[in-house]
Amino acid sequence: MTMEKAIRGPSPERPINRLKSMYPLRALVDETYRDTLAAAKANKPVAWSMLDFGFYPPILNALDIEAVYPENYGTVCAAAGVATPFLDRSEAEGFPTHLCGYAQNCFGYAARMFHDLGGKIPEEAPQGGMPKPMVLLASGAACDARFKWFQSLGRYIDVPVWTLESPRSSMKESLMPGAYEREVDFLLRELRDFVAFMERLVGKKVDWDRFSEDIDDSRAMDAVWYSITDELRTARPCPMHTRDHYSAMNSSLFRAKDPQRVKKLYEDMYDEVRARIDRKEAGINRPEKYRIGFFGLAPWHALVLFDKLAERGWNFVREDYHSPRPLPEVDKIQDPLERLVKYRHREVRQEIEAEFPPNEAEEILRDIKEKGFSIKSGVRFGRKYQLDGVIFHSNLTCRQMSGTQNSRQKNLLEAYRVPSLIIEGDIVDARLFDMEGTMKKCEAFEETMEYYRSVRAKEGLEW
Amino acid sequence: MPTTLMGLDRAREIYSDRSQRAKELRRNGKKITGYICLYPVIEMITAADSVPYRIFGDLREPITKADSHMATVVCSFMRSCLDIGLKGRYDFLDGVVFAHVCDVTCMIPGIWRQTIPTKYTHFIDTPHTLHPSSREYFRTLLDDFRVTLEAYTGVKLTPERLKKAIQLHNTQRALVRELYEMKKPDPPLLSGVETLIVLKTIMSLPVEEGNNLLREVIQEVKTRHNTLTKKKARLLVWGSVLDDTAFIDMIESLDANVVIDDTCVGSRAYFNDVPMTSNPMDGLAQYYLSDIKCPRTVKEAEHGGKRKDYKADLEARFGYLKEYTRDWNVNGVILQSLRYCDGHGYEVPGLKDYFEDLGLPSIYLEHDYSVAALAPLRTRVQGLTEIIG
Repeated sequence: MTMEKAIRGPSPERPINRLKSMYPLRALVDETYRDTLAAAKANKPVAWSMLDFGFYPPILNALDIEAVYPENYGTVCAAAGVATPFLDRSEAEGFPTHLCGYAQNCFGYAARMFHDLGGKIPEEAPQGGMPKPMVLLASGAACDARFKWFQSLGRYIDVPVWTLESPRSSMKESLMPGAYEREVDFLLRELRDFVAFMERLVGKKVDWDRFSEDIDDSRAMDAVWYSITDELRTARPCPMHTRDHYSAMNSSLFRAKDPQRVKKLYEDMYDEVRARIDRKEAGINRPEKYRIGFFGLAPWHALVLFDKLAERGWNFVREDYHSPRPLPEVDKIQDPLERLVKYRHREVRQEIEAEFPPNEAEEILRDIKEKGFSIKSGVRFGRKYQLDGVIFHSNLTCRQMSGTQNSRQKNLLEAYRVPSLIIEGDIVDARLFDMEGTMKKCEAFEETMEYYRSVRAKEGLEW
Repeated sequence: MPTTLMGLDRAREIYSDRSQRAKELRRNGKKITGYICLYPVIEMITAADSVPYRIFGDLREPITKADSHMATVVCSFMRSCLDIGLKGRYDFLDGVVFAHVCDVTCMIPGIWRQTIPTKYTHFIDTPHTLHPSSREYFRTLLDDFRVTLEAYTGVKLTPERLKKAIQLHNTQRALVRELYEMKKPDPPLLSGVETLIVLKTIMSLPVEEGNNLLREVIQEVKTRHNTLTKKKARLLVWGSVLDDTAFIDMIESLDANVVIDDTCVGSRAYFNDVPMTSNPMDGLAQYYLSDIKCPRTVKEAEHGGKRKDYKADLEARFGYLKEYTRDWNVNGVILQSLRYCDGHGYEVPGLKDYFEDLGLPSIYLEHDYSVAALAPLRTRVQGLTEIIG
């Protein structure tokens, strides 16, 4: 019921001013589940994959393999209000309740499907459920919890697991001579081994022409998405709300099966957002009183929080979540795998030089080399989006996104006098979130934002 | 003033004030290099003529400063390590080496560098798999570590120096294994509490001094009148870091002896040797990537097969524990983990399946890093001892 309610069209009465162009992008998520179920029915290969920031998708596309993403399925179950029984089942199976909420949801689902129902999809599964995979594709990108998650699924599913490693140096060591080249070599070897494995598994060769086109199309698609999120959303008032970002990000974040088609949809979104800027129309149907960043994974079961805050003039203008950064020049690289690696895995120096004016980039790089850290590099959104405040969502089940929030709070305040508020909850488990208490905290936070607005004015900051 | 204590008494003395010797050495011109968890390559620190000093938290000290920097959803051991650092109790460290063990150990370097003045720091990324590409990549990362370590200490890490350091640390490993042999009789000759005290102590000393202390302890335990009593439960304790005797003490105050462990202030650091290879860096890379038993590294029965065999997978991951239970005649298992330790948490159902197949009763205890949090667990351990025998 929650899902059906959520896909109503835009309405001026609603506090958030949803973009029309978002709906076909969000519909792609439903399409993914439908396609995967259809493929399973037709005995075609299906994978359960982890978000891996773009390494697996062009290979899956070139091998015609459908994939679902259990992390995404965790958000689907949470938003549909049906995650609790899966979480309870995971706990009953013996998995600690502090583990990643997406993983717990997946364990509960797998236990129900494979232990209770002999491989039949549970009737209560939203979106028709996730069919039995032929392979589990794990990834070392983003967080370490994921190394063990798919291995633990071996308790329920007798299919192979492939884990794609990712370098995870800290910034200082990443700037050592030759470090980036070695990271690229590492990823290239990982990908070559993965391609060989998949070709053996499915008995089919990768179509390298298609693979190559796919990367180019994905880069073009991401460029449009980047323009929307990182350029247009800096406008005042911000023309696109975080909820539209969440609804539209899937293709760029997880996988675009047809990046050309998605690019066209993103272009439609770009046009709509651009037109809103020309009309000075905000992403909320109320005057933009506060420009807010939402950092951390969202409480997917309680997205109505954003609507309640929009009523008070809070416009959520930026997430720390996913945004493909400016594209490096990789066109001339002949080896398509190397092109993919250099597109997806960026050099720290290049990232900083692309994000900051030359003098500032130099200062940041010097700080990292000499002191091992740079305050500015981590909190740049504060200035770029002229934030009045940041809400950090501290997830009980996610160390990676929550662990350093306190440190980032201090840095935001120190660098740009942007205050922030930590709210507690979880990505999947609705029982860990207190809507009323959170709203009270947010209301009180308005006074803090007002105070720091005057501090910024006194100190000559632009907003 | 030089101490006159020896063996277990000396270990107890250092355990109760573990920085005393390191500070003394520093006053005499030695560089002291802290490290977090088991993955920083301590042989290289020793070869660079510096003293590796393992950073621990303090179970008995409330966390009051770290919460301004790290969320409370992070394991309380790592928060405590940071807290102690922020309170200046590690200000005798000249350098600190970090490694990628888990998500939290990747966060610590940034916060430490920003908040705790330390002359030298280095972070060693450590892959989680044993893929050939991971091994090659990790080997290059150790070369990076060598470059910064040489610059910091001014000592060139020649193959000879490295080989000598590896030999010294391998001797320490052999001595610790000898110590564990004394836990095989019933009753064991050495308690779990005493074992932890000795091992935490040697992680606070230069390797030669630690080896000498181990020799004294082994000699003392061999010749003393056994003070331990035979108890119904001979337990294996598996899990995340235990750097205070409180947890083991709680178990051994019941009808149970902890005769073997699989923890990182226990057997994990000592039950394998670093292989002696013609280029010593190769042996170090092999050991630190694949031979330490922490669940942070993915071990699997078959990489790239067409089908997953769950039993074979469990055997590949936990087969060594079967040997422990056989060799130390274990009749019950405690799986324990600090809350929010994901690496250990994911292993629990699989491990319980594995021990169930072996016919061994097991319980899982999750706890916070505080003495008070241990009290409610006592009843559960008591329950386990009642099942046994």
